[in-house]
Amino acid sequence: MNPVRVAIAVARKDLKSEWRTRELVPALAQFVVLALLIGNFGFQVDTHNASAIAPGILWLALVFAGLVAFGRTFAAEREQASLEAMLMTPASPVAIFAGKAMAATVLLVLCEVVLLPALTLFFGTPLSGDVVAAVLLATVGMAALGVLFAAIVARVRARELLLPLLTLPLWIPFIVAGGQAVQSAMGLPGSYQEAMGLLLDFDILFVVLTSLAARFVLDE
Amino acid sequence: MSFVVANGLTHWFGRELVLEGVDLVVDTGEHMAVLGDNGAGKTTLLRVLATALRPTAGRLQIAGLDAFREKRRLRHHVGYLAHAPGLYPALSAVENLEFFCDLQEVSRTRVEEALDIVAMTSVARRRADQLSRGMQQRLAIARAILHEPRLLVLDEPDASLGEDAAELLTRVMQGKTVIMATHDRALANRLCQRTLELRHGRSHGTATRLHVVT
Repeated sequence: MNPVRVAIAVARKDLKSEWRTRELVPALAQFVVLALLIGNFGFQVDTHNASAIAPGILWLALVFAGLVAFGRTFAAEREQASLEAMLMTPASPVAIFAGKAMAATVLLVLCEVVLLPALTLFFGTPLSGDVVAAVLLATVGMAALGVLFAAIVARVRARELLLPLLTLPLWIPFIVAGGQAVQSAMGLPGSYQEAMGLLLDFDILFVVLTSLAARFVLDE
Repeated sequence: MSFVVANGLTHWFGRELVLEGVDLVVDTGEHMAVLGDNGAGKTTLLRVLATALRPTAGRLQIAGLDAFREKRRLRHHVGYLAHAPGLYPALSAVENLEFFCDLQEVSRTRVEEALDIVAMTSVARRRADQLSRGMQQRLAIARAILHEPRLLVLDEPDASLGEDAAELLTRVMQGKTVIMATHDRALANRLCQRTLELRHGRSHGTATRLHVVT
């Protein structure tokens, strides 16, 4: 059984379902725009402090959008009782997990397509390739962790509460390194290369760890 | 020759004992019905037999293999219809089955054959959430037989099927070893050679057709 084919099939199925229902992405896109709007009015943003405030607002919006996006990945399968059918096939649980994580990553990237230009619009900060690269790199590791914990909490009743409690502490390294990378890309002091190196290290570490753990989480 | 051999299957959900030492032997090609009231443990027993649930205690062999150690290998040979259809509502009937073809690594040409067996070719392009409950059940049955399993484990397959349930299930079960749960004793007697009566998670013996132990 080719795990890559399985992962692609799972991701394609999730994205096709989202395309047909449009349940998640439009709502998340509205959410991130509203979060930026509130941030814009909540802080007295001007040309001097915009680059200091904008990265914080960016990561806050991204973190909460991510929690919703990743939380839905397995919750929907449980509600439809379709997860068991998928796990009853000979397909590897790791490949199924990878497919779910790929689809969730794409959905969050779609939100980022709205989020990043909106950030420039509301805060006047530059939208550079460096900012985009930092956000994308952080998204990969955050998705791996978020989807793993979404799979763990999907079978419990208080999953909406448990998911942030489990996920947020482990997302802190991404927020710290990602925040530093975005700040330096926006002209504030700090080493962009160093922060990106850290993000890459965290991505590798958490993608490997979550892939190893996924088998045990999904197997029973 | 025995295809399914279960010894002392016992399962606890927390403090509740739902299966208590169930023994079971099903021969190759045999059809067995599991009967019992609501809460008797039928669904739990079927989930264990389909390798979807590991029991707290007991042994299970399917096709001579340890069903829990070799469950991934066995899944090529086991088709399971769960209590809920478990379909993807936004995908069409064909897309639902094509997805499972990819996961089962079987040719997508099987989709048409499976839909033909459950008499669903006319609504093949309709989304699952636009199908009636009976059609959704047919689609779930089609998914269970997609990879031509040797053992079919069916949890109330007749639910919502309507008048032609027996005819459809006869087609589906042909040439396969089958364990099915149902409330319909008449259907069980028509489709199965043997019945197993469950009460409060305990087996109350098996009986041959028309001689159900009470």
